[in-house]
Amino acid sequence: MIEIQNLTKVYKLSKKQMAKQKTKKNSKVAVQDVSLRAEKGEIYGLLGPNGAGKTTTLRCIATLLQPTDGSILVCGHDTVKDSEAVRKSIGFLTTDIKLDPQFSPKYMFYFFGRLHGLTDQEIEERKKELFSYFGITEFEDKKIEELSTGMKQKAAIAVSLVHDPEVVIFDEPTNGLDIVTARSVTEYLKKLREEGKLVLISTHIMTEAEKLCDRIGIIISGKKVMDGTLSEILEATGGEDLEDAFFHLYKQYSKEDED
Amino acid sequence: MRNPIRIVMNKELARVFNDKKMIFSLFIMPAILMVAMYSFMGKAANSMLEDIEEHVPVIYIQNAPEGFGDFAGKSGIIANIQYKEGNKTDEDIKNGIFEGNTDLYVVFEDDFLNKIASYDTGSQAPEIKTYYNPSEDYSKEARDKFLSLVAEPYRQTLLSERVGNLDKLTVFVVDRDPASSIIMDESKAGGKMMGMLLPYLIVILLFTGPMSLGIDAITGEKERGTLASMLVSPAKRSQIVLGKLLALSVLSCLSAIVYAGSIAFSLPKLYEGMESANMVMTVTPLQILMLLAIMLTLVYLYVSIVAAICVFARTSKEAGTYVSPAYIVVLVAGILTMFSGNKETPLGMFAIPVYGSASAIQKLLVNELGFSQFGLSICGNLIAAAIFTIIITKAFNSEKVMLNA
Repeated sequence: MIEIQNLTKVYKLSKKQMAKQKTKKNSKVAVQDVSLRAEKGEIYGLLGPNGAGKTTTLRCIATLLQPTDGSILVCGHDTVKDSEAVRKSIGFLTTDIKLDPQFSPKYMFYFFGRLHGLTDQEIEERKKELFSYFGITEFEDKKIEELSTGMKQKAAIAVSLVHDPEVVIFDEPTNGLDIVTARSVTEYLKKLREEGKLVLISTHIMTEAEKLCDRIGIIISGKKVMDGTLSEILEATGGEDLEDAFFHLYKQYSKEDED
Repeated sequence: MRNPIRIVMNKELARVFNDKKMIFSLFIMPAILMVAMYSFMGKAANSMLEDIEEHVPVIYIQNAPEGFGDFAGKSGIIANIQYKEGNKTDEDIKNGIFEGNTDLYVVFEDDFLNKIASYDTGSQAPEIKTYYNPSEDYSKEARDKFLSLVAEPYRQTLLSERVGNLDKLTVFVVDRDPASSIIMDESKAGGKMMGMLLPYLIVILLFTGPMSLGIDAITGEKERGTLASMLVSPAKRSQIVLGKLLALSVLSCLSAIVYAGSIAFSLPKLYEGMESANMVMTVTPLQILMLLAIMLTLVYLYVSIVAAICVFARTSKEAGTYVSPAYIVVLVAGILTMFSGNKETPLGMFAIPVYGSASAIQKLLVNELGFSQFGLSICGNLIAAAIFTIIITKAFNSEKVMLNA
């Protein structure tokens, strides 16, 4: 499970970045005082517009970033004090983390499998299962740079799951995928949930969140403004669907933010 | 469980060895280029020397004394000798020399033979004045030949006419057999030539590998987003760094061996026909081991310098710009040893990274490298490399550097 307590992440801005963002402040609060708890056997979705702080939150959980304030526990391990143990128990995938284009999916699968300490036999078994599920087997020896976007994404997902992690964190997992590939990815996430894993995704696609997530946390301007099941959110906001509810919250909190 | 350092290292090596284009550009093309370049330089130098040798110089002679024409004809000099007549002025001939059409102008003093015949002790001897152009190879060669083949024998002839038996004038000779006078360590003499060039070449060529490879392996991966995927694996950052640096060192050594091999193969071609062809290099196994040790520490130092620069660069282009000044520093360190001459290098200087190694290689090739100098040069490299490795590991742990966050 994942337990976030009062997570705050502040980026220091260089003069160049300050000029780019037209601000006089030399720091930017990306995430402010976010707390959440996600349990095994559920799909938790972080929903928010671009720049709301979703990716920053996920990166903090994956130990790539250190919280400025607050703490994160993944399967009982602190992301700062025990980052290696955290990395062992998670599979992490974001759009800006890519596989080496010069290598084949098979090579990358073995490479990361070995880094996770698996034996070649264990890796081969995982490869058979994941590559056949995602239909990678027939192009497993092709260079990744020769693959289509969808194929690349499928290969990246398979590689991130090589060590059968307890916690799966995907940043916008269906981004840029065609409808067929997107469906196979969401189906696999559901399969992981059935296997008792915790799946944490970020998305800005309302329908995806509605259909896939057991619980949804809505993030606006770095703050978590609400979380709960779909029906809880609809009830609390009085919206007809998630999009409706989201805009209701968005109006309310972006106004507060301006104030 | 396999060591993450080895896993990362193997991947970096596979990146190069699975790519035919990379193998060609890193190992095969430099070899072809070096051999072709040195053969071409050797050929060009040879044909230049041959050309000067074969050139028939144009020599003008003014006021030639009686019988000099016959003497010059028998002297064996191959030249187009013209005896100046009224239609050409001094100025015309001197302009010819200046422009390179004429190679030498020789002017005998008026009444040359009579002045010699009526020579009294204390009076001034008559002069043969030569005009030539030292900036023209043909002209310089024409003067040298004229002096040795014509003027000197002519002086001897006139002298023997005056004193009868020339041997009377000989008080003593120096070195009747010049070859037996030379007492030298042939390996040192051979090494001296190599000692001037090799440290410079080794110090510089070892840098070319890390320069091209390091940018892609560090900044390139950062730019492509493939490095981050390794950062979320359980491997320690220091293990990833070491794996990468070791792989780069192996590749750089291979590329250096290719360079050194092609130089060794081509150097004789360069010196073909040149005077310094009698290069004898004798190296002992211990020297080879010492050279290898210096080269290995130097390669690791270079790799860590390049990697430390690359890790802070945001784009490959930026990395290229930052690495260039480091290359210039290395170039200068190499050149400094090339011109250090016979001056004794203070012991402490051997501890300076790069410069110390170049000096040590130089000493090694002339059989003068002591163990303290050797040890210092290696320690200097290793300490500097360790500092850079720590900097890189720190940078790998920094979210600002790795993720531009």
